[in-house]
Amino acid sequence: MGNTFPKWTNWIAIKVLICLGALGTAVIALAWYSWTPKYTRVGYMPQQPIPFDHSLHAGQLGMDCRYCHSFVESSSHSNLPNAELCWNCHGPGKVKSDSPRLELLRQAMDPNYENYTGEPIQWVQIHETPDYAYFNHSAHVNRGVSCVECHGRVDQMPVVYHAKPLSMSFCLDCHRNPDKSLRPLDEITNLDWEAEDEDRDEFYSQLALVKGVDKDALVSADEEEGLEWGKELIGKHIREGWAVNPPQDCAACHR
Amino acid sequence: MRWFFLVFAFLVITMIIGLRGRGEKFSKPPFELFPDMDRQYKVKFQKPSHFFENGMGSRKPVEGTIPMGFHPPLTKEGGVPTSDLDFSYGDDYYNTGLFGDLYGKGFPKDLEVNEELLKRGEQRYQINCVPCHGESGNGKGIVSKYWGFPPVQGDKSDEEFRKEWDAFNGIPPSANLLDPRVMAFPEGQIFWTITHGKGLMGSYRGTVNVKDRWAIVAYVKALQAASK
Ligand code: HEC
Ligand code: HEC
Ligand code: HEC
Ligand code: HEC
Ligand code: HEC
Ligand code: HEC
Repeated sequence: MGNTFPKWTNWIAIKVLICLGALGTAVIALAWYSWTPKYTRVGYMPQQPIPFDHSLHAGQLGMDCRYCHSFVESSSHSNLPNAELCWNCHGPGKVKSDSPRLELLRQAMDPNYENYTGEPIQWVQIHETPDYAYFNHSAHVNRGVSCVECHGRVDQMPVVYHAKPLSMSFCLDCHRNPDKSLRPLDEITNLDWEAEDEDRDEFYSQLALVKGVDKDALVSADEEEGLEWGKELIGKHIREGWAVNPPQDCAACHR
Repeated sequence: MRWFFLVFAFLVITMIIGLRGRGEKFSKPPFELFPDMDRQYKVKFQKPSHFFENGMGSRKPVEGTIPMGFHPPLTKEGGVPTSDLDFSYGDDYYNTGLFGDLYGKGFPKDLEVNEELLKRGEQRYQINCVPCHGESGNGKGIVSKYWGFPPVQGDKSDEEFRKEWDAFNGIPPSANLLDPRVMAFPEGQIFWTITHGKGLMGSYRGTVNVKDRWAIVAYVKALQAASK
């Protein structure tokens, strides 16, 4: 009786397994690399209708974020400014009022302009949480989380791009351990704040007031534990002193 | 097997070429696998909406109504005298800075002028006024360096040009808040200026709420007193 199956069929199972293994590895590698907000979102930099430059306005001119994003402290939504606010500086006879880059602004604001439409400027939204997740700016900004934690160094960006993934694990990493990302409330919009800039004495006096204990006791307790003055220590004190307790249960963000 | 690995290698290489690096800039909207849950049909802040005729999701309150969370204005029938949120509804002194047609002097009687208000005023002044009026109120904020155009000679005579330069002297039209003329302003007039703007200055009623405006007035008054 001859061989029903030729000899090469002895290897076929192994060969198929190897091929499937290679394919599987490739698919997993691809998914691992690219099916994450770290890949799909970070770096998103759409073209805006007006080439508005944060590194000029917020960096060089030193304007506070809240001049334009005026309700970030009092609302869940951080608003974009209306055209009127730009017009306060870029109106007729003021800064660069004839610049061709501000064409759309003139169309929106100047009733004497030949191409006047009165249409609002349609900025392209960059950061956008899915609608099934709830996010609140005021809850963060009023508890010592700076814009830089979630948006990067906007004051150095000529064009804003998506700098952090803003994925669920990104949110939770901080909610589990917020110490290194908390800072005093008056430094929220100062994106290059460093712990060294903080007046140590002043900070401990404030803290002593809030906690209702003696300042020197606080200082010596820290020194005894060998804690160094820095971001983590400031964060730890802010968390304890002001009872900051970020939620981790699903219903906090998926309500 | 050889063929498989050739095709496989080809696929892998095209994939690697096709993928961008993490964090590399791109301008197409991010990919969303199931966009129906991500982008639900509801009206969202500052977003367009097909439901309304003018295509804007943001609505103005219907006349005679007040948005949720806001307080009714103070009128003869009642209302709330001061609150943190409001943006000029009523026609009383607190909301307008006017008594009849005249700028009012002093602060509204329901407003407590204390250290807290001054601190708030300082912060809000730093945010909203410093770019133009400067830290000390002298009108030399950073924008003044860009503001207005230095005179150009064109076909003016040397003498005329000289005169224009002397008049320009680098000081912008941003008012100097420490000028005796402005120092003499009653509180109501500063409030009115923030609310409606004046001359070259635009209005800030859209971004600074009524209580913060009074806080800024208090701080400006303090700056002026300190400069005397
Ligand atoms: C506090 C005043 C101020 C405000 C408010 C302001 N800008 Fe500017 N803007 C400036 C100054 C100053 C410059 C720099 C001009 C220069 O380089 O000479 C500038 C430059 C620009 C330029 C570049 C113009 C050019 O031709 O080089 C654009 C575009 C611009 N601004 C857009 C905007 C938009 C949009 C807004 C509203 C969101 C806005 N600006 C609000 C002060 C302001
Ligand atoms: C002069 C007004 C102005 C100032 C000051 C300003 N912004 Fe903006 N911001 C804008 C405008 C207009 C846009 C929309 C256009 C764009 O994305 O470039 C914007 C967009 C943004 C976005 C992206 C929004 C989105 O669509 O997801 C972020 C984040 C942001 N700003 C953060 C900041 C931070 C942080 C600061 C302070 C350091 C700041 N901005 C200061 C006017 C301003
Ligand atoms: C804890 C993280 C976090 C912090 C802190 C934070 N943001 Fe955001 N920001 C977000 C998220 C998430 C979104 C997307 C929200 C959405 O989909 O409406 C966003 C959106 C925005 C937008 C775009 C809103 C729109 O509709 O276009 C602006 C502007 C903005 N943030 C400015 C700021 C400024 C200014 C600060 C600091 C004062 C700040 N953010 C602090 C997470 C943060
Ligand atoms: C850098 C740190 C940090 C990041 C990143 C962060 N959070 Fe938070 N979150 C906080 C802190 C701090 C609080 C305030 C806790 C408190 O008030 O005690 C908070 C509170 C909240 C709350 C409760 C608000 C309320 O109304 O009570 C929600 C919801 C929330 N965060 C959602 C998010 C989401 C969604 C993201 C991701 C886009 C996010 N957070 C990212 C630090 C962070
Ligand atoms: C700090 C806020 C926060 C908490 C707490 C939280 N989530 Fe989320 N969740 C988010 C955000 C933000 C997203 C959207 C992430 C994105 O767009 O990539 C999300 C997305 C999801 C998704 C969809 C994932 C996807 O990629 O499509 C699921 C499922 C989910 N969450 C389940 C949960 C469960 C279960 C819990 C409780 C154990 C939980 N979440 C707690 C913020 C939170
Ligand atoms: C965009 C620049 C700019 C900003 C921001 C600004 N101002 Fe002015 N302000 C001006 C200019 C320009 C004038 C001079 C107006 C004129 O006389 O034509 C002025 C004038 C004034 C005057 C005098 C008005 C008069 O009748 O002479 C007062 C008071 C004043 N500003 C207060 C404020 C306060 C308070 C703020 C903060 C909420 C503020 N300004 C923000 C540009 C600005």
